[in-house]
Amino acid sequence: MSTLTEARPMPVVAEADPRRWTAVIALARFEARELLLQIPVFAMCLFYVGYSGWQLFSGREGMDDYPVLQDVDRATQTLPMLPAVAVLICVNLAVLRSRRYHTDGQLDVLPMEPWRRTLAHALSVVPFAMFTALVVALRFGWAALGQDAVGHGSVAELAVGPLTVLLAGVAGVLIARLIPSVPLAGLAVAGGYVLLTVAESSAGDPRWMRWLWPVVSENGSVPLPSDLLGRPAAWHALYLAGLVTLVLCLAVLVSGGRALLVKAVAFGAAALTLTGAVAQSAGDSSALVAARVRASATPEKDQTCVRHGRSTYCAFPEWAGRTADWAETVRRAQSLAGGAAGGARLTVRQRVEARYGLGTDAAIDPSRTPGEVTVDTRWGGNRVSEFAVGVASVLVAGDERTAGEMCDARTVMVMWLALGNDPDPMGSLSELRLDDSVSGSAIVRSPTDPLAMTAQQTTVVRELLQRPRYSVIPKVKANWTELTSPKTSTARAAKLLDVPLPEGEKGEDECGV
Amino acid sequence: MTDLPTPPTVSAAGLTLHYGSTAALDDVSLRLGAGVTGLLGPNGAGKTTLLRVMATAVPADRGAFTVLGHDPSTTAGRQNVRRALGYLPQTPGFHPDFTAFAFVDYVAILKEMTDRAARHREVRRVLDAVDLGDVRGKRIRRLSGGMRQRVALAAALVGDPGFLVLDEPTVGLDPEQRMRFRELIATAGEGRTVLLSTHQTEDVAMLCHRVIVMAAGRVRFEGTPAELTARAEGRVWSSTERDPGARAGWRTGTGAFRNVGDPPEGATLVEPTLEDGYLLTLDATSAAASGVTS
Repeated sequence: MSTLTEARPMPVVAEADPRRWTAVIALARFEARELLLQIPVFAMCLFYVGYSGWQLFSGREGMDDYPVLQDVDRATQTLPMLPAVAVLICVNLAVLRSRRYHTDGQLDVLPMEPWRRTLAHALSVVPFAMFTALVVALRFGWAALGQDAVGHGSVAELAVGPLTVLLAGVAGVLIARLIPSVPLAGLAVAGGYVLLTVAESSAGDPRWMRWLWPVVSENGSVPLPSDLLGRPAAWHALYLAGLVTLVLCLAVLVSGGRALLVKAVAFGAAALTLTGAVAQSAGDSSALVAARVRASATPEKDQTCVRHGRSTYCAFPEWAGRTADWAETVRRAQSLAGGAAGGARLTVRQRVEARYGLGTDAAIDPSRTPGEVTVDTRWGGNRVSEFAVGVASVLVAGDERTAGEMCDARTVMVMWLALGNDPDPMGSLSELRLDDSVSGSAIVRSPTDPLAMTAQQTTVVRELLQRPRYSVIPKVKANWTELTSPKTSTARAAKLLDVPLPEGEKGEDECGV
Repeated sequence: MTDLPTPPTVSAAGLTLHYGSTAALDDVSLRLGAGVTGLLGPNGAGKTTLLRVMATAVPADRGAFTVLGHDPSTTAGRQNVRRALGYLPQTPGFHPDFTAFAFVDYVAILKEMTDRAARHREVRRVLDAVDLGDVRGKRIRRLSGGMRQRVALAAALVGDPGFLVLDEPTVGLDPEQRMRFRELIATAGEGRTVLLSTHQTEDVAMLCHRVIVMAAGRVRFEGTPAELTARAEGRVWSSTERDPGARAGWRTGTGAFRNVGDPPEGATLVEPTLEDGYLLTLDATSAAASGVTS
């Protein structure tokens, strides 16, 4: 047994005039390390990194190869809620640690006052917010550096994830200082959440209330040009930053930190929070509403057009670099067409439905203009095939509106033009159909109204796609006029193309069955 | 009350604290110097309250005290007292998920030791000093009761405080652990002021150069252990039967009765102990309280 009477190291004492802030930082480091050792925080951080990595590297059927940055920035906001909730719970438990284990008696007589400990607990969350910021930056940076990225990200939108983690941390601290009981604190948080949710739904989900939450998801399926988003991202970031500071100051004040500076910062933070909350609650400006109407109804006023080959491609400015990809799809479809369609001059126009705001999935009406093909703001994966269906529809039917009403051999031709030059035609056929099937009747996706395919048409299309192209192309071109006539039935087309039909599918077309 | 052998480092005058209508401390004055001072008294005597006041855990209603020249009645003074203080409460708490090292390190941070390397050196030093160097990486929940008590002592010792307040640190320890603790406290008392509250008169006899006896919130005796023992000089005697006139009497291992009180004529006086002096001091206190003179 060693004793103090043996030669021993010299004791180390605290500095005579200790740097108060250095001690706070030292405690914050200690608490941050302890936080990381808590299973919920560690697990959620691991899941957050793992899932973000999976999203980065797996892609969704190629669709993420063409990111729209004004959507990518918002997509970074939801996932940090997981580490944020874990941080809230574990910080709350850390602040209540001395009460839970009855150590307040011996710790309260130590030089570091409770308000400085409170500050240290709040600061212990900063590494987790920085970690979140790093993951967010990696996710966004990876997307932005890809050569096929379009649009503009917003720093304010990107800041929401890290700010959410910070807010959860300081909220955990404040709750612990206000309600020094673990079960009661948990009940209070759950009760507050339910109360706010009920209040929000009973009040009809008003904008001002929706924007009080840290993460405001407004994810329609079709990205909009960044100047049509109408999200008060900067005001919201200001609101969150002010709220974080305000909650932190309240926690310090509740813990006995009464310095004038704390009160002054609290007042300043309250003013910032209020300013942000009021500003973010303002509805869409009349200029924004007008811009959305203009982009939806008369997109040509906002677009620039370029020519590739015979056709013209009109895109919103942020998508101007994508017209070459569209032209390649048009070229592939048009090369299979016969008659005048093979040399037709198309106008490919990018269109959006922005009138109903960001969070809606409003469909784009099919164009009535002959030779005009709609392309939306998405690209990659299935979207390429869907656009090919749109191009083929116009080549076969003349315009999108008419294509939506087809119930004859033309549907077979549309699908042949769309998929005949596809590297994986059967795979694309399956992905284009809503039920992912390659037999029977189904709905087929396109940029505007979907097409209906009967079982008979499916059989013919499937047979054509499985044959060598060189054997199909001459027959299609040779019979182009009859094959694209509204009067030609699918059974007749099958005969023209030498496709045998089973007994049950030899009748006339019966659409809508 | 005899003079202190060293200049006082801690002094209190007129400390009074009421819990409702009960006086937990009643005009307590004392002076402590370097070394270990024992604080004896029955349950409810006010020992723990006095220690909590001295440790700045609760403020007194009246009176004042200074620790190493710092006056805790001001914010800055209280901070300075706390910087000079090592406090081991009666039932110390622990964070069971912390290792022994992490717990003492945590306390060291709260003591504002900011240099990480130096702080870790100091934590290792105090853990070695309480003979826990080998288990410093173990979680506290896995340590025995005696080991936990030593962790608490290490936490009190970290940072080399000039004033150590120990509230019944040997309660619940087995004899071997108590011996080890006495050794640690004796060493801790070298060059610093230690105020040790205890029910164990042997602890005081073995460790303390000064002793204070409290009862009913008041200081009843302040002096050396020898002076407290001397109070029983000529008042302890041996007999074959329990003497009904004795304040206290019990059969010893030899079969004879040891009586404490006012001996009868011709009684066989025996050498008094510190405990005899303590018992007679308390007895005089209760007699005075009930109006009986001893």
